[in-house]
Amino acid sequence: MKLDQFLAMEAGSDHDGVIDLRGLEYISDYDDHLMCPICHCPFIRPVRLGCDHVFCQTCLNFAIRTFADGPDNFTCPTCRAPTRDVYLNVPRLLTNMCDDLPVRCPFSSEGCKEVVPRGHIQSHADKYCEYKLMDCPSPSCEEKTRKKDLSTEGKCMHELHKCLRCDTDIMEQDYEEHVKYLCPSLKTTCPDCQVTVFRKALREHIDACPEAIHPCAASKYGCPIKMKRAELGAHEQSCPLITMGPYFEAQNARLDSMEHTVRHLQQRNEILDDGLASIRSTLFESSRAFSAPNNNNDALASTSTATNSSNRRRSSITDPDSSTNPFTNATTYLLSLHESLREEVAQLSHAITDLDARASMAIMNECLRLKEDMAHTNAAVNSVRMQVQWLMNPRLHQGQRAQNGNDSRSATSAGAGAGVGSSNSGPVPIPGLLRPRRLSDTGREGTKL
Amino acid sequence: MGSQKRIAKELAELTESPPDGIIVELANESNLYEWKVFMDGPEDSPYHKGRFELKLTLPTEYPFKPPTVSFVTKIYHPNVTNDDKGSMCLGMLKADEWKPSSRLSAVLEFARSLLGEPMPDDAVEGRIAEQYREDRKRYEEIAREWTRKYAGGAASS
Repeated sequence: MKLDQFLAMEAGSDHDGVIDLRGLEYISDYDDHLMCPICHCPFIRPVRLGCDHVFCQTCLNFAIRTFADGPDNFTCPTCRAPTRDVYLNVPRLLTNMCDDLPVRCPFSSEGCKEVVPRGHIQSHADKYCEYKLMDCPSPSCEEKTRKKDLSTEGKCMHELHKCLRCDTDIMEQDYEEHVKYLCPSLKTTCPDCQVTVFRKALREHIDACPEAIHPCAASKYGCPIKMKRAELGAHEQSCPLITMGPYFEAQNARLDSMEHTVRHLQQRNEILDDGLASIRSTLFESSRAFSAPNNNNDALASTSTATNSSNRRRSSITDPDSSTNPFTNATTYLLSLHESLREEVAQLSHAITDLDARASMAIMNECLRLKEDMAHTNAAVNSVRMQVQWLMNPRLHQGQRAQNGNDSRSATSAGAGAGVGSSNSGPVPIPGLLRPRRLSDTGREGTKL
Repeated sequence: MGSQKRIAKELAELTESPPDGIIVELANESNLYEWKVFMDGPEDSPYHKGRFELKLTLPTEYPFKPPTVSFVTKIYHPNVTNDDKGSMCLGMLKADEWKPSSRLSAVLEFARSLLGEPMPDDAVEGRIAEQYREDRKRYEEIAREWTRKYAGGAASS
């Protein structure tokens, strides 16, 4: 099947009610070989390309339509082999393996626990699933109902009813469940003190129930005692950890704030470290620059690492002028260095603008040259055209003459050369005169075609 | 249409069973096409103990067009540009080498292996590549320093 036929086939095959097999939850891990390389799902309606690579039908369709070079130059998404044909027949084995993968029912959020092979999921949802969401039978109602809740008389299950006990509006389909389990007006008993309370008040009650087991208020500081709330008051009076509580709190707060400052200081320290390192490296450079002319035999400058002490020592050894006051000298040196760097930057920017200008000039020159070249080529082409025209003129004349000429002449020419008979320009009238020309013409045509 | 499902699937796979040293999340919960990736520097590399943030951008034509990967955290590496874009040069992400069947987990694993073994022949930062080839020790020193400075966080202590 050709690609365009394949593209046309896909249109209109999707409709409502069909389960989206790509959205399903696959229970087990499936083999990578069963996976479409495009959507990474087990193949859905697989098709095959000429190179034997298999894709889902929809995926391949999508791939062809989004392919950058257009459908005519489509290449296989996996191996890039140019391809023009799609085959709909893939080994049945492959389809069977994909359809055998167990999937969860798409209505599992509604309560369906079924796990069926993928090939059967459509029929499960259509016929057997009790949790499938159906349109409400009442035409005015927009809600959906689970299939099992659908009443046989076709009554709308979404009408609101007032619960007689708690005064809330409940949909008919939920009414039974509400009355049995959920209604807040139902009574229940506290598990600790056996008092009967309203269901909605139970939580409050448990928080205050004197019988409930409760840990000591100082449990976060390590008090292991748990006892009934009624007795806990007496314990808390005497618990030493509770009296210590505020002190612990204060200590915690102090620790927090100290951690905060430490972090701040660490950051500052890092910044200062960086600054120090850069200053050190510039000092090292400067001392080397001074030492080079002053004492060449100082081997230390070239080999030792740039530790702080050696650095200072070197600057004092190699630079006798600055040894009295190294810090002021260093500052002035840094300032001068800064100045020189600034000059260098200025020079560099000059150089860059210079380069820019030169580059644009060069481009312009090149352009001019190319334009000239093109003009030359144009002229050459024109002259060739003229020559061709001139060469064609006699032939045109001949053609006209041949048309005007009589039948006998064309008959002789047909007898003279069968190869010429095929050309439209017509046979040559006077074979003796123009024979070489004709031969060369046929030869040329032959090479062209 | 198809791209979203595939991306969601790959994201779920990556978050459920992430590859070694790689954590993936969405940069923005409502946008599937922008991912935030945290990558731990591989052991035995100067990037060890660093945690690098990467940005993975997927085109709407995914999986037919390749995703792009860039380093948000600065990194000293021959195959990552040294500007604020941090673009990464991955052979498999070039338009003519990309295949729709490639998985994003493979892309990320490949990116991480590139941290361990830079490819100086395929470099975007020629200077670093040269240094990598000629003065390996110095390169590792700088890379380690940058890792400490930019990708350190809690891991450096």
